[in-house]
Amino acid sequence: MDQFLQHILNGIVLGGSYALLGIGLTLIFGIMYVVNFTHGELYAFGAYVVFAVVVALEGNFFLALLLAVVLGAVLGGGIEWALLRPLRGASIDTTMLVMIGAWIALQNTEQLLWTGVAKAIRHPFPEAPLVVGPVSISWIRIFVFFAALVLIAGSHLFIRRSRLGAAMRATFQDRETAALMGVNIDAVHTFTFAFGSGLAAAAGALLGPVFVVFPTMGDLAALKAFAIVIMGGMGNFIGATLGGFILGIAEELGAGYISSGYRDAMGFLIIIAVLLFKPTGLFARAERIG
Amino acid sequence: MKRWLTGAVSWFACLGLLAVPLPGEGAETIKIGVTQPLTGVVAASGNYVAQGARIAESLLNAKGGILGKKVELIVEDNKSNPVEAVATAEKLIVRDKVPVLMGAWSSTYTLAVMPKLMEYSVPMVVETSSSGKITTSGNPWIFRISPTSAMEAVAMAPHVKKFNVKKADFLSVNNDWGRGAADEFAKMLQKQGIRIGTRETMDAKAQDLSAQLAKIKASGGDTLFLTTGVEQITLVLKQAKEQRLAHKIITTGGSSSPDQLIEQAGAAAEGSYHILFFAPWFPEAAPYPALAKEFVAEWKKRGYNFAGLTEGFRGYDGIMTIAAAITKAGKADAKSIQKALWDVQVQGVNGPIKFMKEGPKGRESGQSQPNVFIVQIAQGKVALPGFMKK
Amino acid sequence: MRRWLPCIWVAFLVSVPLWMRNQYYLHILISTGIFAVAAMSLNLLLGYTGQLSLGHVAFFGIGAYTSALVSLGFDLQLSEGYTFVFEPRPVWLGFLCGVAAAGFFGWIIGRLSFRVRGAYFVIVTVSFAEVVKLVALNWVDLTEGPMALNNIPPVTLSFPGLGELTFWKKEPNYYLVLAVCLLSYLVIRRLVFSRAGRAFIALRENEALAESVGVDVTRFLVLAAVVSAAIAGAAGGLYAHYIKIVDPDIFLFIYTVTMVIMVVAGGKGTLLGPVVGAVIFGILPEALREAARPEVQWIIYGLFMILIVFFLPDGIVPAVSGRLRPRLSPARGDTAEEAA
Repeated sequence: MDQFLQHILNGIVLGGSYALLGIGLTLIFGIMYVVNFTHGELYAFGAYVVFAVVVALEGNFFLALLLAVVLGAVLGGGIEWALLRPLRGASIDTTMLVMIGAWIALQNTEQLLWTGVAKAIRHPFPEAPLVVGPVSISWIRIFVFFAALVLIAGSHLFIRRSRLGAAMRATFQDRETAALMGVNIDAVHTFTFAFGSGLAAAAGALLGPVFVVFPTMGDLAALKAFAIVIMGGMGNFIGATLGGFILGIAEELGAGYISSGYRDAMGFLIIIAVLLFKPTGLFARAERIG
Repeated sequence: MKRWLTGAVSWFACLGLLAVPLPGEGAETIKIGVTQPLTGVVAASGNYVAQGARIAESLLNAKGGILGKKVELIVEDNKSNPVEAVATAEKLIVRDKVPVLMGAWSSTYTLAVMPKLMEYSVPMVVETSSSGKITTSGNPWIFRISPTSAMEAVAMAPHVKKFNVKKADFLSVNNDWGRGAADEFAKMLQKQGIRIGTRETMDAKAQDLSAQLAKIKASGGDTLFLTTGVEQITLVLKQAKEQRLAHKIITTGGSSSPDQLIEQAGAAAEGSYHILFFAPWFPEAAPYPALAKEFVAEWKKRGYNFAGLTEGFRGYDGIMTIAAAITKAGKADAKSIQKALWDVQVQGVNGPIKFMKEGPKGRESGQSQPNVFIVQIAQGKVALPGFMKK
Repeated sequence: MRRWLPCIWVAFLVSVPLWMRNQYYLHILISTGIFAVAAMSLNLLLGYTGQLSLGHVAFFGIGAYTSALVSLGFDLQLSEGYTFVFEPRPVWLGFLCGVAAAGFFGWIIGRLSFRVRGAYFVIVTVSFAEVVKLVALNWVDLTEGPMALNNIPPVTLSFPGLGELTFWKKEPNYYLVLAVCLLSYLVIRRLVFSRAGRAFIALRENEALAESVGVDVTRFLVLAAVVSAAIAGAAGGLYAHYIKIVDPDIFLFIYTVTMVIMVVAGGKGTLLGPVVGAVIFGILPEALREAARPEVQWIIYGLFMILIVFFLPDGIVPAVSGRLRPRLSPARGDTAEEAA
């Protein structure tokens, strides 16, 4: 029973960060209908920014996290502006191919700068874990969990309450009408991509210190993000959030009770299963944001 | 018509690209080919080995080279990938015409290269790989100076009692090396009447080991034998501490780089033991202390990462072995070098190197029996346990 | 004149081993040839049918593993006391099994695609490849996992009465790869020029419209998937018996990406495009080996991909051979890509 509780706890903590990843991608996917292969790279980018600031520049840990999110958003916006905007109206294959090109270029730049050797990031939290009855959890993971929750709640509020959020939702529901109503579609696209990328970078920045940082860390993260998007339904914010937690728990339980080797397969199996049986996602009543 | 022309043009353009000038002959040198993972997941280790090899190269050239000619190392990057390993071996043998190779670091890459050695009749000194298959496949062109996991387990056997192991668990990376180590150590422990708990594996790129550690925690064992690369060891140590694992942790395989663990795992590394094949903090404990000290000094002089010494010495020993063979053979020719390797006796940083026959009769490979060192991380530093001191 | 050019071309290729003695160059050509077969197969799905299959390397790997396992033989412990023993079979049989196995999985993917399209299909195919990789990695009893299947025997042909010929050397392997290349090319060409080929293109251009005029979309999708997968499996088989070692890294996404780059840069939807792409991207890394680090090379390829998409969206072959398209090929015209 202890093991079970520990697995659930680990799964929930991990799920928070997965949710961040998923939300970022579902927004991009839903509003822009772009197969964003660079999402994983933004995740890695976030982690590397924290590494660079904390280890190379010996800066403050929390400042590093903030910087990672901001720079991630900027990079995302830049990618959209430079690569996607000129291709507005092109078919999905074209944008996909461009995204693949960008993905390769980004990943290898990271590899060039920091080599393939994994890097650890020292964090200011105590090493000794917090023990609550039969389960234990490290302080950094507690922090990561709450930080993720804050970001998720913040994003949700933003999309629901702000004008920009309304513009995003409008664009998602009906692009032509939104444009007719005066919404600047170009700006919405750039902002959405930046926002989603910022969240991905946040996820990377939070998980980087928990594990280790290496150039291909984004690949698996991206695929899991896709799994979450499909589970929750494209553009479905709540769906993505729930999907993130479900994936985290499913991975932990699968690894603990079925096979630790197939842990990462959980995400893919979920994708295939959902697409076969309920392609609009587990939570979609209708595809929508919010 | 035009499309065929296009095809032809591209074809010739690319063939033309291949006319990159071959390395100039210049003054006659003795070429030694080295294939190591300089990029990719195990790049850190590959680079350390290459650095050790370079030290050997300069030391040899400072003393006049081999047979009066300068030694030239041609180092190729096998990108941590068995297919690339084969490509680099092919390139070294065919384009650079090296009479002897050293490589390829990982057992998987070495096994991939072995058919090429048979195809071209060129010997290779294996400096790191530990899979038993390498020397038992009937390939007479293989000469290994690194120990198999079996040898490591055997060398460890007399010290096991001092660790007071009652029930042992295993956590290994899911490859030849990890699984082989777990198999051999389990065999050795069982011979001493120690019970085996659970044997877990992890994917080389896995980051979250909490599932495996939770199972190990529940197994009732008191010692954990851990076999994987240093980055993953860091993760395991940290997560083991998180889960309050009470096991004594012993890492095997010699790739654990304790200095790096202290730096990256911090307090989580405290108390762990590590089996190494060279202990650069204690050169006096090596079989040839003067040689060990000289090697460490040269490494430091070049500003190489101290943590890399636990692997760099392999490159050094490998090149020195090859040099001894070439000297003995009297010429830099593949077949003569192969014959000579059987007769060499070299003083390596790890200890004495001499090849014994191993494998199917008539097609044996050479295997040397190396030494083993055990260190512990105590109070944030690397310490030599009492039973290791001379 | 037009008719003879391909024959001259083929004759030239056949003659190469007779005058090119350099083993290393032959090795590069052989690898390029294997990639060309794989790229051609991907082109059938990506270029002609317009299906974004990004899991193509799965078929390649399945072909490789199946062929290797059949020719090496294996033991599988199914339950306590019962071990299923499979004796090693001749390589050519393994090769055919590889093709069949890959084709079978192609059929499954084809059926799946009936239900999902577009972006979802991409994700499904990528996930499929990842799952296959994880199976190869973890089902160690069968696939040896990361320890890799090595000592795979090269192709052996027995001529009754004349003896056996084992393909240890490069030259016979070159001819084998060339033969498979030509065969694949001819098969694809035949398919593309047939009714099925026209159906593929109809599918690609406007699926709803195609369906409305009575094209059985599912049937043709499945056909394309099966043939494409089978040819990829053939490439995998060639790979297994030439390189003689197969490990789960064969399923890495980066190889799918490499194939995609070859097809897209060369010219998707053209017969020769993937071949040109394979030649460029097979030889380029070797040529650049001295000049640039692998990371830099990949950055260049990534940027190159982006540039191609921006400036030469149809790829190199159509761009170079100009807008004049002889009626030989039903390849896509010069209309820019439209929104899906």
